This record gives sequence, structure tokens and C-alpha cells, in this order.
Amino acid sequence: MTITRRNVLLGATAAAALAPIASRAQTSEVVIGVIYPLSGASAQIGVDAQKAFETAADIINKNYDFELPLAKGEGLSGLGGAKVRLVFADHQADPQKGRAEAERLITQDKVCAIVGTYQSAVAVTVSQICERYQIPFISADNSSPSLHRRGLKFYFRAAPHDEMFSTAMFDFFDTMKKKGTKIDTLSLFHEDTIFGTDSGNAQAKLAGERGYKIAADIKYRANSPSLSAEVQQLKAANADVLMPSSYTTDGILLVKTMAELGYKPNAIVAQDAGFSEKALYDAVGDKLEGVISRGSFSLDLAAKRPMVGKINAMFKERSGKDFNDYSSRQFMGLIVMADAINRAKSTDGEKIREALVATDMPGETTIMPWKRVKFDDMGQNNDADPVLLQYIGGKFVTIFPPQAAVAEAVWPMK
Amino acid sequence: MDKDFARRRRRELIIAFCLAAIAALVPLFVKDVYVQNVMVLTLMYAALSQSWNILSGYCGQISLGHALYFGLGAYTTAILFTKFGVLPWFGMLAGGVLSALIAMALGYPCFRLRGHYFVIATIVIAEIGLLLIQNWEWAGAALGIDIPVRGDSWLKFQFTRSKLPYFYFALALACVAWFVTWWLEDSKWGYWWRAVKDNPDAAESLGVVVFNSKMGAAAVSAFLVAVGGSFYAQFVSYIDPESVMGFQFSLLMALPAVLGGIGTLWGPVLGAVILIPLTELTRSFIGGSGRGVDLIVYGTLIVLISLALPRGLVSLFARPKFLWRKAAVR
Amino acid sequence: MTAETIIQSLASGLLMGLLYGLIAVGLALIFGLMDVVNFAHGEFLMIAMYATFFLFAFFAIDPLLSAPLVAAALFVFGAIVYLLIVRFAVRAKANAGMVQIFSTFGLAIVMRGLAQFFFTPDYRSVTNSWLGGKTISIGGIYLPEPQLVGALVSIAAFAGLYFFIHRTDFGRALEATREDAGAVALVGIDKNRVFALGWGLGAALVGLAGAIMAIFFYVYPDVGASFALIAYVTVALGGFGSVFGAFAGGIIVGLVEATTALILPPSLKSVGIYAVYLLVVFVRPRGLFGSM
Repeated sequence: MTITRRNVLLGATAAAALAPIASRAQTSEVVIGVIYPLSGASAQIGVDAQKAFETAADIINKNYDFELPLAKGEGLSGLGGAKVRLVFADHQADPQKGRAEAERLITQDKVCAIVGTYQSAVAVTVSQICERYQIPFISADNSSPSLHRRGLKFYFRAAPHDEMFSTAMFDFFDTMKKKGTKIDTLSLFHEDTIFGTDSGNAQAKLAGERGYKIAADIKYRANSPSLSAEVQQLKAANADVLMPSSYTTDGILLVKTMAELGYKPNAIVAQDAGFSEKALYDAVGDKLEGVISRGSFSLDLAAKRPMVGKINAMFKERSGKDFNDYSSRQFMGLIVMADAINRAKSTDGEKIREALVATDMPGETTIMPWKRVKFDDMGQNNDADPVLLQYIGGKFVTIFPPQAAVAEAVWPMK
Repeated sequence: MDKDFARRRRRELIIAFCLAAIAALVPLFVKDVYVQNVMVLTLMYAALSQSWNILSGYCGQISLGHALYFGLGAYTTAILFTKFGVLPWFGMLAGGVLSALIAMALGYPCFRLRGHYFVIATIVIAEIGLLLIQNWEWAGAALGIDIPVRGDSWLKFQFTRSKLPYFYFALALACVAWFVTWWLEDSKWGYWWRAVKDNPDAAESLGVVVFNSKMGAAAVSAFLVAVGGSFYAQFVSYIDPESVMGFQFSLLMALPAVLGGIGTLWGPVLGAVILIPLTELTRSFIGGSGRGVDLIVYGTLIVLISLALPRGLVSLFARPKFLWRKAAVR
Repeated sequence: MTAETIIQSLASGLLMGLLYGLIAVGLALIFGLMDVVNFAHGEFLMIAMYATFFLFAFFAIDPLLSAPLVAAALFVFGAIVYLLIVRFAVRAKANAGMVQIFSTFGLAIVMRGLAQFFFTPDYRSVTNSWLGGKTISIGGIYLPEPQLVGALVSIAAFAGLYFFIHRTDFGRALEATREDAGAVALVGIDKNRVFALGWGLGAALVGLAGAIMAIFFYVYPDVGASFALIAYVTVALGGFGSVFGAFAGGIIVGLVEATTALILPPSLKSVGIYAVYLLVVFVRPRGLFGSM
């Protein structure tokens, strides 16, 4: 018992010692909490996310000539040039740890806003805590549609959710069908955590509504040691389109197993995740010529908006990787949040929330192909148009929607 | 000798009472919610580990599948509340009883298994439970269950910001688990278990009664762990299969007892008091680096403690008199 | 469901089963023959896969060629782990079983942490190896070459281990040491030396498995977790103390997994494996061929 008491006292003293520093520092800096998995099975995502957020903070804090909110001038002009300081916390993909870290960031580090979290399950608890403390939370890269439908006032998501992504896929199928491509049957292949389940449900529902036949609906266990039985069933179903919702590990194994069992689908339209990760293309890119993935980001945009290329170069310098669907959304998550804080001219949670509600950021001033950033009354940005990208000749090109497309879809894939 | 024994047990009860009283006062001085959160978890794991210790430590039936009961408790409470409006207090009871029954049903075939066969059986049974919940649409499958929190209420046992009610509940649970263990030590069952441990041949002659007492231990252990699971569901107000039924929970329940001293009265408490703050602090203060340093520190400590002190940290306070004097000084 | 689907599933299941056997064979030696628990088995596999990956990435050594090198490296590693950690765990005066479980479990956490520290959490794969992605088709049934080679290595490893245990002096010394360390000391056998070599050998077999796995599986710090439980179940299903048991256990696990995926939703396919394990030990508490 001695030890808890000592720890407790140490903790309390440390917290007490830090408190005055934090409040004193408030005028010259704005502290924002960033919660990601930094150890454990999905640590790679968290480590890349750190680089994306640092890139965004760098652009905010230093003077850059980009048509991006807060890029010009140093720091937040609304708060007398205050600098953004990020505090990172590790949730290890555990909802309980996520909420504990959110609470620590709010009460000890005095963050005025939180951005996170990659895993949707953790976003559930982190956003609950933010609601309780009236601290705005931006779901940078969580795509589970249930998240914004929980009646939370402090929850915001600038990026699309899985239903929007899936709708884009079916819009694309409808367009292709009108052009005479045969798309009647679909095979769904999704993992068994929240991401895969939500995605699979959304796709099954849309298929029913739009009259596509589901030839196989296979839910598999994430991180399985083998997928041969699953791939065998996909092969037997032989649908016109294979629609996987898989993280990187399962994505690699899926593609390898498909090659080993001699299964070549006409087309793969993937729900992002693993299929936007560099690691997957490093491993099995040669087998993926022509794969289509949904995304909320495309490097093609650099041709129209030069700053996209420059910001990507800054990120690449830090991480050794190009922006992908996750890191770009993470980057934008912080920009949107910092922009709101700047307009709120305050670090008060309620004021920032009001500023977020009033957000109306034109798409051209983001690095995304979105129409704009404007939140509905549930905190969801419905103008975040997803895009479909096709992997051709070692890079992704935008093929849908038409206004963003730079190339025609290659169908069937090679 | 008997008189000594009785006196020692009385002393233990007094020490426990004093420690609980001191613990109950701590939140009056420690207002930081993060630290309070760590204390709640510490007490919860102390209670869980103490309950695990009844079956695995005293009876010697090493279970690495107690996450099953933890998850059952959490899910029963959450489902009854969100789908049928049953208050968590009743859900807690229902989850506990359900877990106790399942523990007995599983104990019947499993107690015939020895050593590693038993350990692996407990692991795979918990994994089956996890997979079934994960694929059960009605129970939320992977999406889990989000328990809506609408203001503070003792009736619904939910509190938006205050950690104190959770703290006192966890403290009470830890005390109950401790007291049950204390009581069992001196019961008929306790004697049988000791006899069987010291002399395997005695197991043969005591066959049936020992078997029945193990079933009893499994039920008590599962009941308490399930109540802990119900508590966790209320505390976090969101549960999903991986985060309440995953294998890591089974290990986390066992670790404090193992490090503190397996099959001892004080081991689980001592283990939890050291281990849980350590886990939380390493993650919070060095985990942010993204380089796995927290894992290295944590793992190294487990290796060192389990090798250096096979009887656990309580062996540092081996003589009861010493413990008594220390407590008196305090 | 066509006959082709069923035959293909069984063929894949059989190959996968032999691979599970290959992953478990080292465990069968350490866990089964020396009665020492190694909860870091999955992490041993993980570093073997990393070793294979790095030999491929930096020196362009194909996994088939680097397999002996990796096995040798793991041999040394296994012996060191025994001498630094397990030796003390086995000697523990109390709760020996628990001390073994948790000291090796702690080691597993440290190894994951170190892997993340030094190798970063990135997912890595061996690309363009000799066998990678190659497959043989017989009458519409596909047999991937890496798995075929893995199956052959698995059979060879089991045969070799069987021969080693039953036909060599060292194998007999190993068994005798497990049964009565005091008695063998009298005839001049040093328990620590025998067990250190046993651990080295067990780890070397994991090294072999890791090298083969790296051809078609991705590598990252937590990769071992996917295989560890299956390896434990494989060994226990066959029965501790029996090399043949682990071999049969692997094949059964692979076939059961494939069949379950045909009947139930694939996300429940492990349930089949676990259920079969429970059924077997409820009927035969020492596994199929176990002696302990």
C-alpha cells in the first residue's frame, strides 16, 4: 500500500507542478492532444500518423505560401500568433486506455482539443470523454458510420465514412454498367472487427438497394494465419467484382493466397485500409495492377493544386512515404481543428465547438478532393466526396467521380 | 500453534481493515482524475486477481481463460441495460450467476485434465467465447455495445466525470474478494486444497469432496470476476469483444497474483498495486515514442520478478510478525 | 459446393496442417519433451522471419538458402535464452510452472518491444524469392510451391527429430534428464548442457519454420501471436512427450480448420480447432499419443 500512496503522491505532485506551467504557457501556445496506437499490432499507423500531424503543425507554426488555412504567417493569428503544440498519447488499440489517455490529456496536459484515433472502437470512448469534458474531438480517420450518430455535440468528422465510400463505389458500378460493362455479382470479403463489419453491412445494404447480387459474403477473422479456405470460396463464387475490406496484414495474405490458388477476379474494388498502404504494394504490388481502392486523397491533385505536391514532399521527408488515405486525413484533421481554434480566438471548448459548427472551408484550400468542409448537425462533413483510385503502373490515378478523374478506369484489371 | 494461527488470522483481518480505511481516504487528497483512474484500475485488478487466485492459486487449477467470465459479466450487464432497461445492479448479479453456472459446467470435464492440458483448455474455451460474441449480430458483434451515459446516477451506476463512485465500488469489490479468500483459507475447502497440494496421494482418498470443492472454487472465482466485468462495462461505458474477452485480460488477471505471490492472501493486492500503476505510467509517459520502449521495460520487469522471487513479492515480507510490525509503525 | 472445392480445401488444409506441424515441432521438443513451457514460441518464430527477411533484403540470400543460417542463429539464440532465463525458471523453488509461464511470457513482450524498437512496426515481406507466388496446378487443384516445400521440410524435420530422440545418445540423455536430473548427474551428464542443447535445437527448428514462412507470409513485431496458440494446441492435441503426436496434431488442425471453414462462416474456423482439442482431451486426457 505504501507504494500506491507514494505513486499517487508523486503523480499528484507532478501534476500540481505542471499545472501552473500549462496555464502560464497558454497564451503563447495551443496544446492539442493526438491519440493513436503507438505500440502493439497497429503501431505502424500511429508512427506514420505522428509524422503527418507534425507536418501539419509545422505548416501552421511556420510561414508557408500555401492556399491552406493557417499556412501563411506564423502560428494562430486569432490568438496572437500562438504556436500549436501537440501532445501524443498511446492507446494500444484498447478503448479503456484510449479514454484514460484522453482524460489525462484533458486534465493534466490541458489540451483544448483532441484528434484521433485510427481504431473506431477507441474513437467511441475517446469521444465520450471529450463530450463529458466539453472538449471538441475530430475523428481524423475513423470511418465507422455509427460514430457520428450517437448524439454527441463535441464530435466532428471532416472525412467521409464507410457508407459514403461504399456509395461512391456503387455509383461507379452504376456508371460502368451504363457504359455496357457487365457487373451483376459481387463478392464481399471483410474482416471481423468494427471496420470490416460496418463496411460489409453498408455494402450488403447498397447491393440490395441497387439490384446487385451478392455471390459470396465472407467474414473472416482478422490476422488469420491462413486464408486459403476463404479464397477458395471466393474463387468458387467467381463474382464480377471482389470487394475486400481488409487491413494491411490480411490484404497481403489475401493477394498472395489468391495468386497461389489461381484466382484472378475481373476487378477488385477495395475499401481502402490495407489497400492504401505502401507496405501492401511493396509486398504484392506486381499482382495488383488495376486494383481499385476508394480513398479520400489522391496525389493527382498535385497537378491542379501545386501545394499538394509540396506538402506531400514535406511529409515524405519526415516519414519516407507519400501521403496515403490515412496520413492525408490525419493531416487535414489537425488543420480543420486548428482553423476552428484560430477563429474561436480562444481555447475554450465551447467556443471552439461553435467555431467548428461554423466551419465552411472551400475544398480548394485543402489537400483533399473534397467540395468543402462543413459539418451537419451530427458533426459529419457530407461534402467530403470520396474518390476511387486505380493502381496503374506503380501509382494511383483517380478514375471516379468524373470531376476529379484524370483517367478512364481499366476494366477488367490485368 | 492453533492459538498462533488464530491470532495471525485476526491480525490479517485488522491489517486489511486498516489498509482499506486508508485507501478509502486517499481520494480525499488525490484529486487528479488520471491518478484516480489508475487507482480504480489497480483496485479492479486487485479484485480480479484475488478472485483468479482462489481457483488458480489455492486450488492449483491454473486458468488462463478467466477473460471469459469477465466478458460474460460485462456483456450480460450491458445487454440487459441497453436492450431491456434492466439496471446494472441486477445485471451484475445476473452476469455473476450465469458465469458461476458456466464455470461449473466447464469445470466438470476440465478438472480431469492435468497441467498444460488444463491450461490450454482454459485458453481455447475463452477464445471460443470471444469468437462467438464477435460473430453474434444481436449482441453487437464487433461493433460492441455503447452504453449511453446521461448524467450522474447511482441507480444506473454511471457518472460523467467523477471517478469516486467507481473508486469506492472497486475498493468494495477488492475487499469482498479478499475477505472471501481469507475466509476460504480457514475453511474445510482450504484444508483440503492444502492437503492435496502437499500430498498428491491424499487427492485420491479425498477424490470426490476435493472435486466438489474445486467446482465451488470455480463458481466463486467466476462470480467475482464477472462482477468485475460488469463494473468495467459501467466504468468504460463501452465494450467490444476484443477489449473485454481478449486473451490479454486472462493474463492481466493472473499477472498480479503471480508477481505478488500466487496462492497467498496478500499476493494479488501487492502485485496489482505495483504492476498496474507501472503499466499505466510506462504507457502514458514513455509509450508515446512509438518505439516499444514501454513494452521492453514492462517485459523485463516481469522476467526479473518472476525469476528472482518465485514465491512472489510477498516473500519479501515472509514473516507475519514483520508484516505486523511494519503495519503498526504506519 | 462442388467436389473441386472440397478437394481443394482439403489439399490446402493438409498443406497448412503440415506447416502448423513445422511451426510446432520445435515446441514439441521444448514443451513436450523437456516439459518446459515456452510462452515466447511465437516470438521465436517472429525473429526467425525477420532474420530471413533481412538476409534477403540486404544480402539477397533466398530464404531456401538462408534457412540453415537462420536455424543456426536461432540455435544459438535458443541456447542463450535457456542459459539466461529458463535455467533459473526450471530451478525455481516454488511455483515452477507459473515461473516458467511468466518468465517466458515476459520475454515475449521484451522481444516484441525490441523488434519494434530496432525493426520499426512496418510490415515487411520477402518479394521475388525463388518460390514466392509459384504454384502447381493438378487437375484444377492448386498447390502453392512454398507450402509444398514447407510440407516436405516439415516431414523431414519430424522424421529427423524422431530419429534423434530415439536413436541417438543425446536424445536418450535428453529424455533421461527430464525424468531424473539427479540420476543422470551421477553418470556424468550435465543437465544444463543437455537442456541448453535441447533448447537450441528446438529454437533451430523454429528458425527453419520461420525461414519457410517468410516466403509467403508478412513479417511484423506481433506476427507470432497469430501462430502461437495454434502451435500450443497442436502439441497438446497430439499429446506431450510424443513427436509423432505433434505431427499428427498439425495435420488434424489443418484439416479441421479447412473443413470448419466449409461448414461455418470462415470467421469461426478456429472454433473447429478448439472444439476438436476439447473433445480429444475430454476423452483422452493426455492427448492422442501423449505419455505425460
